[in-house]
Amino acid sequence: MGAPIDLFAAASAEGAWTVTEVTRRARVVIEAGLPPLWIRGEVTGFKAWRSGHWYFSLRDRFSQIRCVMFHNDNRRLPAPPTEGMQVFAFAQPSVYEAKGEFQLTIKELLSTEQGGLWKLAFEKARAALQKDGLLDPARKRRLPLFPRRIAVVTSPDGAALRDIEAVITRRWPIAELVLVAAKVQGDGAEASVCAALARLGKLEVDVAIVGRGGGSAEDLWTFNSERVARALAAVPVPVISAVGHETDVTLCDLVADVRAPTPSAAAEAATPDRAEVLVHLGHLGERLARGLAQRSQRAVDRLDRTLKILARGYAVARDEKGRVLKRVKQLPSGQAFRLRVTDGEVAARVSSPPDPLSVPERGNERGVSSPLSRRERGPGGEDGSGAEV
Amino acid sequence: MDFAKQLERLEAIVRKLEAEDLDLDEALKLFEEGVERLRAAREQLTQAEGKVKKALKGEGSGS
Repeated sequence: MGAPIDLFAAASAEGAWTVTEVTRRARVVIEAGLPPLWIRGEVTGFKAWRSGHWYFSLRDRFSQIRCVMFHNDNRRLPAPPTEGMQVFAFAQPSVYEAKGEFQLTIKELLSTEQGGLWKLAFEKARAALQKDGLLDPARKRRLPLFPRRIAVVTSPDGAALRDIEAVITRRWPIAELVLVAAKVQGDGAEASVCAALARLGKLEVDVAIVGRGGGSAEDLWTFNSERVARALAAVPVPVISAVGHETDVTLCDLVADVRAPTPSAAAEAATPDRAEVLVHLGHLGERLARGLAQRSQRAVDRLDRTLKILARGYAVARDEKGRVLKRVKQLPSGQAFRLRVTDGEVAARVSSPPDPLSVPERGNERGVSSPLSRRERGPGGEDGSGAEV
Repeated sequence: MDFAKQLERLEAIVRKLEAEDLDLDEALKLFEEGVERLRAAREQLTQAEGKVKKALKGEGSGS
């Protein structure tokens, strides 16, 4: 290969090159003459192979080039391009020797559409989640007011965990914080976060915070994974997402019961402020005391009223157990009872058989009876049911 | 009893004491229970503080 080309050597049949030699030579010439470059065009004939490699063509009005993007390069992309998508590609022009084809080995691919491939993947996943009802506002659960155990799904050495810990220590230190460590970015992050979310159901926590500190769109992509969003939706307790990005809403934000802009805000949303709760308890204590005082006052007032009624000449008849005797049938002939009058009590006994009123006694639920009623029966107990003192 | 239930019961007691026409015995009983709940709730709020548990590791892909 290293030998300089003698363009005249193959001018006759004797010096013929092999196919491989020509192809290899073509490749060397092309790679030397066309160093890696940015190219723009329209994607057509896209096919993802099981190996993870992508094959497609880029074309414009007049020409077309075969392209390959190997798994190692396309794995960082959120989604494959769609048919007809206008893209920018960073590519090494080359020759695929096995087929003698001129092709581009694509190292990077950007959509020219707004938001590009990221947006495309996001919208696709969002539509799928929507279809399954996972974005339904009615699914959102209320956070517990006074959590006992709070799970945090995040990186064990990230800033998010420290921020959350600080807020909870300040606001609601009686809660127990359970860290469920997960890899939140890079290779394997998706699976790691999914596994952590699946573990939440077994931890007997009241609420969970899932998140990380801020990062680039690529760093946050784990939280835009449809798989992670579905794992989050399956968590049996309320979940607060805290992906640390004020502007971009992630799929996890959409599925979570509450979205917090930062991990600190998530910790605030998860907890009450102990100082405020103590103030509330103080108020309840005051109301408790005031309530009792009012009840006592009312009991005293009621007693006063009873005494006033007695002072007007009414009396209360009670049996030996203190039960108020309100009705004639409670006072058979010979029945002993006690009569409370305004200045004391006397022992009494019914001397003659009962003599019910034609009109039943009225309004005496409080037990102030009127056996001596002057208006209806005349003075004293001369006619029938009088008491013998 | 956990804090939420404790507080819920305390609030119910206060409302009952304020709103209903209870006799003195009943009011006293409620008041006593309320005071006990209040004490227990305060105690829960000021008890030993929780801590971050790092017992659970979630590294790797997990299965």
